[in-house]
Amino acid sequence: MYCITDEQIEYILNDIRRNGVEMEDLQLNLLDHICCIMEQELKETDDFEQFYQDTVRRFYKTELREIERETINLLTFKNYYAMKKVMLMSGASSVTAFIIGTVFKIMHWPGASILILLAIVTFSLVFLPIIYFLKSREATDNRQKAVVAMACLTGIVFSLGILFKIMHWPGTNVLGMSAILLAAFGLLPLYFFTGIRHPETKMNTIMVSILLTGAIGLMFAMVNLRQSNPLAQARMDNYLQAEALLNSLSYKTATSDSLSKDIIATCDAIKSMVLQNAIDAPALPAGKKPLIKEESPGGDFYGDGAGVKLVQQLRDAVSRYNAAQPNPAARIPTTYSVLECDPNHLGYDYSNLLLLSSVTQLQLAVVVKEQQLASKG
Amino acid sequence: MIFSSELIKGTLKTILLKLLADNQKMYGYEITQRVKELTAGRIQLTEGALYPTLHALEEEGLVTTEVEYMGKRVRKYYRLSDTGMTRKDEKVNEFADFVATMKILLDIEVKPA
Repeated sequence: MYCITDEQIEYILNDIRRNGVEMEDLQLNLLDHICCIMEQELKETDDFEQFYQDTVRRFYKTELREIERETINLLTFKNYYAMKKVMLMSGASSVTAFIIGTVFKIMHWPGASILILLAIVTFSLVFLPIIYFLKSREATDNRQKAVVAMACLTGIVFSLGILFKIMHWPGTNVLGMSAILLAAFGLLPLYFFTGIRHPETKMNTIMVSILLTGAIGLMFAMVNLRQSNPLAQARMDNYLQAEALLNSLSYKTATSDSLSKDIIATCDAIKSMVLQNAIDAPALPAGKKPLIKEESPGGDFYGDGAGVKLVQQLRDAVSRYNAAQPNPAARIPTTYSVLECDPNHLGYDYSNLLLLSSVTQLQLAVVVKEQQLASKG
Repeated sequence: MIFSSELIKGTLKTILLKLLADNQKMYGYEITQRVKELTAGRIQLTEGALYPTLHALEEEGLVTTEVEYMGKRVRKYYRLSDTGMTRKDEKVNEFADFVATMKILLDIEVKPA
């Protein structure tokens, strides 16, 4: 049996380390293994180094490090392949469902909301977390891990923000702003300062950071900038003009008839609901010109929300009023008004400004008709 | 004929668990030699597959380890844990079923003993 000297052991261990095996456990396993082989097979006359190189060559296909890589894979990626599959499937199915759901939504076909809901939930709570898990295992140090974590977190908050926006759920702005803040003050600096330190990733880091900054800026503008659309501006003026006219007619006290009072009160209820959503107040501020951003009238005006019910109530009130008028000329015209809108499409067809305008016009009509009746009587 | 490493790969854990169940404690080199001996050299475990799998078994708690210092060298012995013993039975039974199924699937004539 060949007797291996301490120097030779040192030599073997150094060579194992030099070949990129870093796990101490594995180093010692390999060292003992190689020593055993040599003790059994090496003859006194053989060249130690040559024999060592030939022996260790049998351990791997291209480099010794692959043993360590395989070990790490087995230790940490027990479910690697399953996870990879789930990641690809969830990613592909969620984006497909999202696109189909969006098309359904545009066409007002049933099932749109559930498709979009499933798509975004899968994307943000299955796909992104798995990406985080897989990518963070590949990360070589904690900083890179933090970048991956931050990117996934930002992605989750961002996509949930989109979901809330599409679903007209409350909290959209909070989520949108959180995503922007996370991206601007978490992800961007973390990513930039991690990548810039390595010469080989420097250029790429700068490029992606600029793109990211641009994207964050655009997002910020979309969430926060007031409308610059002149048509929307005009629609707001149009509503404010009608509102001013209505107020000048002292509409609240203009009539004593219960049927017409009913209409006016229901209209006011609808308007305060819309305004609450648009400017966080149930009524227009007195004395200064308000800024109403044209957007959806709010979650209440979809499905069987409270707003949709109020519009139905208004429809009934107007029908009762018109039924009580013997003279057709005294009836309130409902053509072109929100009352003609399919209740299922209400929130999609009417923006907040259009809804406010239409309802205000109905109130004006009531006041005018009542005044006509009073002057005749 | 030496069996291909693809064939061995899926059964390596089973082989290791069974060997450790039959031999109190073993170290890496000993395992490769024992397998070679038992199979008349037809199955040769590669170091590149053996050690990663041993580490995985340790991580899963199926084997426990103890080290023996031999001058500058350290020898790591592997020993089956209680869960490892249960798992060995499962794995061996599973493989027996697998072989039986493969016989049917590949239409292999069973040679009379």
